[in-house]
Amino acid sequence: MIKYFINIVAGAISLMKGLFVTFKNLFSKAVTVQYPTQKLQMTERYRGLVDLRIEKCIKCYMCVKICPTACLALAHKETAEKKKEFVYFKYNMELCCFCGLCDQVCPTQAIYLNQIYEIAVYGRDKLRDIDLLNTEKYGEWAHPTVK
Amino acid sequence: MVSILTFIIMIAVGAAVLGFIAVSAMFLIWWERKVSAHIQTRYGPMRVGWHGVLQSVADVIKLLLKENIVPEDVDKPIWWLAPFFAVVPSVMVFVCIPFGNLFGIDLIARDLNIGILYIMALTSISVLGIFMAGWGSNNKYSLLGGMRSAAQIVSYEVPMIISMVTAVMFAGTLSMQKIVEAQRGMWFIFQPNMAVAFLIFVISATAEINRTPFDIPEAESELVAGFHTEYSGMKFAMFFLGEYTNLFIVSALAATLFLGGWQGPFLPPVLWFLIKTYGIITVLMWVRWTFPRVRVDQLMGFAWKVLTPIAFANLAVAGWILLK
Amino acid sequence: MTWSSVETIKENIHTEEFWVNMGPQHPSTHGVLYLEVKLSGETVVDLITHIGYLHRGIEKIAENRTYTQFIPFTDRLDYIAAMGNNLGYVLAVEKLMKMEVSDRAKYIRVIIAELQRVASHLVGITTFAQDLGAFATPLFYGFREREKIVELFDDICGNRLTYNYMRIGGLQFDLPKGADEKIKNIIKYMRPKIDDLESLFSSNAIFTARTKGVGALSKEKAVNYSVTGPNLRASGVKWDLRRDEPYLCYDKFDFDIPTGVNGDSWDRYKVRIEEMRQSLRIVEQAIGGLPEGDPTIKVGRIIKPEAGESYMRTEAPRGELGFYIVSDGSAYPYRMKIRSPSFSNLAVLSELAKGIKVADVVCVLGSLDIVMGDIDR
Repeated sequence: MIKYFINIVAGAISLMKGLFVTFKNLFSKAVTVQYPTQKLQMTERYRGLVDLRIEKCIKCYMCVKICPTACLALAHKETAEKKKEFVYFKYNMELCCFCGLCDQVCPTQAIYLNQIYEIAVYGRDKLRDIDLLNTEKYGEWAHPTVK
Repeated sequence: MVSILTFIIMIAVGAAVLGFIAVSAMFLIWWERKVSAHIQTRYGPMRVGWHGVLQSVADVIKLLLKENIVPEDVDKPIWWLAPFFAVVPSVMVFVCIPFGNLFGIDLIARDLNIGILYIMALTSISVLGIFMAGWGSNNKYSLLGGMRSAAQIVSYEVPMIISMVTAVMFAGTLSMQKIVEAQRGMWFIFQPNMAVAFLIFVISATAEINRTPFDIPEAESELVAGFHTEYSGMKFAMFFLGEYTNLFIVSALAATLFLGGWQGPFLPPVLWFLIKTYGIITVLMWVRWTFPRVRVDQLMGFAWKVLTPIAFANLAVAGWILLK
Repeated sequence: MTWSSVETIKENIHTEEFWVNMGPQHPSTHGVLYLEVKLSGETVVDLITHIGYLHRGIEKIAENRTYTQFIPFTDRLDYIAAMGNNLGYVLAVEKLMKMEVSDRAKYIRVIIAELQRVASHLVGITTFAQDLGAFATPLFYGFREREKIVELFDDICGNRLTYNYMRIGGLQFDLPKGADEKIKNIIKYMRPKIDDLESLFSSNAIFTARTKGVGALSKEKAVNYSVTGPNLRASGVKWDLRRDEPYLCYDKFDFDIPTGVNGDSWDRYKVRIEEMRQSLRIVEQAIGGLPEGDPTIKVGRIIKPEAGESYMRTEAPRGELGFYIVSDGSAYPYRMKIRSPSFSNLAVLSELAKGIKVADVVCVLGSLDIVMGDIDR
């Protein structure tokens, strides 16, 4: 009989402890980021969209070879002066898994992952066959705070 | 002439009560979202209106515009009636909830002399709505939810009513208004055995209205949404409305029976009543967002092995005090 | 049906057992798990688990990827603890190539793996509480705490969920500037928060009533079903690969292996809480003794191990994670087999579920802490 009451009282006290934890948090600061008005700064190593510094690229095809999902497509031709020239350099964002291996493998740091993260679009065709040679390719996505 | 006037007054009072229920439910939904959000260190709704006050309005509009989906194999009459059975009794209870008085007019639709009895009777009906929804949906989750609900509400009615009877014994009347007036000098809760009765009432009322930690009829983690799994649009909104109306009712009852109803110093009576009621509601919300859910057998065990004996013992003590 | 007598009613009304399909879309099956539950009222009579809704053929994909290319795929196995998979895979390849990594790389790997264990257990415990019906509040606390670790990982490797950080022979990057300070802050921040979580659950009468004695897994049964990780230790078997088969430099650190007694849901939860504390202890020691050096590797190497095979098992947050790699000397693995902890841990569910209430199925499932990506691969 005494145990019965002890159980009830102990149970009530234990529930109070739980209530105290939530009460403490009731007045702590909210951790939410109010997204469209408030934006997070991406970290330095953030892996966003694949981007290209065109003048640095030596067309070594390392990035194309390392890509686990084969989302990069590159072709070049040789000019009369034995210089390599782009035919195309396409990037299929639908397949990209943002692993950053192309960035890591590039001998001249030509290909890199930028800091764009707001990449919602209305059509899939905008994600397919992104022309890396076009400097304005991410114009509509680029955020002013992104370098 | 007199009959027409009474009729108009009846319509006006009915409209006022319905309007209050709708606004109160919408406010409570917003308030619950805010309280839960801040407990979880979030903001909750922030976009629609100032701190999202109009969020519930937006939600209601969305629910009104939704297509009315009737699953193929439901038991149609029962399925259609269930939401109304969930809402109507809880609306009817408002007849004898004393809101206090404003400019000399008592804010109570009708002060029945058997007020408490009437409320006890009506709150028991709402289980029918839940059980009908569970049975009529022709869905195993809903059926399990409905069965659980029936067992739960019937069990918890016993301690709840006994604790209400304790208050009635002290007041010596069944009329809600008179019970409030009986607490003029001292609220009932300041007497030790009434405090126990208050606790039992609040706990069993939480179970009665299916809120966590006793929300097993709609236990999300195993029964998806319990009895209202198959409902959508306005019918779902009816269940929701019923739930929040019930929440208001039990808190109002607790305030009236144990916390002195609309009585209090300085502030107008209506304000006192609302402060007490919403205070209890906030505590119930705080409890809801803290505790896990109990299991169905533990729930029954708690009702019959803990609450009911204590409630009866408490009643006996109350009787002894009164006779002394 | 006539209602003439009690007998006819009794003839016409009968009870029967019925099947309930939980999943593949269900609030508490942790992904796309499909449970067929046979119920007699509220009591479970039989339970069949169906898996495969998240099957992506990762083992087959491995045969068509070079050794480096496969690392991002390991992130997608146990996505709650991607670093653990990264580590298990690179260790397996390093074992195949008989490669030794620098001391600093080892230490950083230990730090990362242990922080990942804390993050993973935070999710595991709090989703478990969510399954018991504690409406999202512990879940949010758990995720808030985990956020600190995820932010650190974001700083280190540039992503928040699929890290792709470990490399064969080292790491992708060294720790960024100020990272050790951040890690120390995380340890300082995390300890009281774990106590908070514990006081929210452990002392709670409802939580105790829901978990104690529910789904008790005996020592013998746990071993027979090859249950591993915290679930095995909760059954009282003191088996931890970090101590029993030390890899990296775990033998240099001082830590305890928490074990349970009954192997019920309560013990499984308790072991996880205690393991988080031990992990923080390891991180504290590792960050204190972090050697200097360069943990990164030369990039762009083509990895061609000699023909042969290797099996490497590591203590991932959910249990023993094994990678079995067969090499034929080319740049692609000939065959890869992944022994994932959640798969074996899930197998025990139908055994545990018999005879308990339907609400407890969810409780046991939550306490086993499975990840569907790990099971289906």
